[in-house]
Amino acid sequence: MTQAPAPIPVHVPSTTQPEDFFQLLKPRVMSLVVFTAATGLVVAPGSINPLVAAIAILCIAVGAGAAGALNMAIEGETDALMRRTRGRPVAAGRLKRNDAIAFGIVLSVFSVMLLGMNTNWFAAGLLAMTIVYYAVFYTMMLKRRTPQNIVIGGAAGAFPPVIGWAAATGSAPWQAWLLFLIIFLWTPPHSWALALYSAGDYAKAGIPMMPVAKGAKSTRLQILLYSLIFVPVAIAPGVVGMGGGIYLTVSIVGGLAFLALAARLWRSRAGDAPDKAEAVGREAALYDVRAEAKPARNLFAFSILYLMALFAALLVESFVVPGT
Amino acid sequence: MPVYLTPEQLAARNKRSLWIAVGLVAFIVLIFTTTFMRMQANMTARTAQDRALASAPAQPASMAETSN
Repeated sequence: MTQAPAPIPVHVPSTTQPEDFFQLLKPRVMSLVVFTAATGLVVAPGSINPLVAAIAILCIAVGAGAAGALNMAIEGETDALMRRTRGRPVAAGRLKRNDAIAFGIVLSVFSVMLLGMNTNWFAAGLLAMTIVYYAVFYTMMLKRRTPQNIVIGGAAGAFPPVIGWAAATGSAPWQAWLLFLIIFLWTPPHSWALALYSAGDYAKAGIPMMPVAKGAKSTRLQILLYSLIFVPVAIAPGVVGMGGGIYLTVSIVGGLAFLALAARLWRSRAGDAPDKAEAVGREAALYDVRAEAKPARNLFAFSILYLMALFAALLVESFVVPGT
Repeated sequence: MPVYLTPEQLAARNKRSLWIAVGLVAFIVLIFTTTFMRMQANMTARTAQDRALASAPAQPASMAETSN
C-alpha cells in the first residue's frame, strides 16, 4: 500500500500593495532627512553640479528609507503592541517581515552604491554606517536595553547633514559635525516630549523609554537640562560664522521660545497621568492629548518647527547672502 | 498543484510588478546619468590638463649650448 505524497508547500501570493512598501520608508522621517542633508550639501563650500546634488540627495533619502524599512521589519511585533505604530504595514500584517527585510537590504545596497559612484566613497561609507547604526545598533541592540536609547540612537538621525556635506566636498570638517551636534542634542528633548504623553504605549511594548524607566518627573528635568545644552549649540553656527544675521535671529528667538516651553514642561505635570487616548481606549491623533500633557505636546510640535527653521535659515542665507 | 489567484491577489501582484519595473528603469537611468556625468567631468579635466601641458613653456635647450 503506497503512502499519499506529502503536500507540496505553496507560496500563497499576498495582497501587499506598493503603498505598503512606501509606508515602510517612513516618509515623514525621510522628509526631515532630505531637508537636513540638502542643507549640509548646499552650505558646504564649493560648487556641485545640480544634477549630481539631486541624485546625492535622492540616494541619502532612499538610504534613510531603507533604514526605516529594516527598523519596521525588526520591530513588527513590538509595533503591533503600540497604538501609535500598530497601523504600520508589518505590524498590521499587510506585509511579510521577510519581504520588508529584503526590501530594506536591496534599497540600502543600491543607495550606498549609487551615492559612491555619483559623489565619493567617503559619503557612501557614511551612509552605509548610518543605516547599520540605525537598523542594527539602535533597533536591535539599544532600544530595549537602556533609557538612554534615544540619546545614543539619535545620532543616526543626525548624520544626514554630514553625509550631504561629504557628498559635496569629500570631507567632513568640524562645521559639518556642528550640524550633526545640533540634531544630536535636539533628539532627546524632542523624543522624550513625545514619550511623555505616550508612555503607556512604550510600557506595553516593554521599551524602556525615559518616562517608563525613570518616571515623568525625571524625564521633564532631563528635557530641560538637554534643552539648556541644545539651545547654545543651535546658536553656535551664527557665532562661528557658518550662519549670518538671519540664522542668528532665528536661532536666538526660537531658542528662547524652546527654553520657555521646556521650562513650562518642567513645571507641569505632563506624563504623570495616563495619556488621553489610553484613558478613553481609542485611537488618537498625534497631538490629541489631555490638558496636563499639553506642555509636552507643545514642546514636541515646536521642536520640529525650530529644527526646520534653523536649517531653513542656513539654506536661505546660502542662496540669498553671497559669501556665506 | 496549480495556484489560482483571486482577483485581488492578481491586481496586487500586477501593481507590484509595475512598480518594480518603474524602479528598475529609474535605477538604470540614474546609473546612466551618473556614468555620463563622471565621464564628462573626467574628459573636461583631461582636456584642461592637456592644454596646460601644451602651453607650458618649453625647456630651454640653449642652456646646454651656452654652458659649453
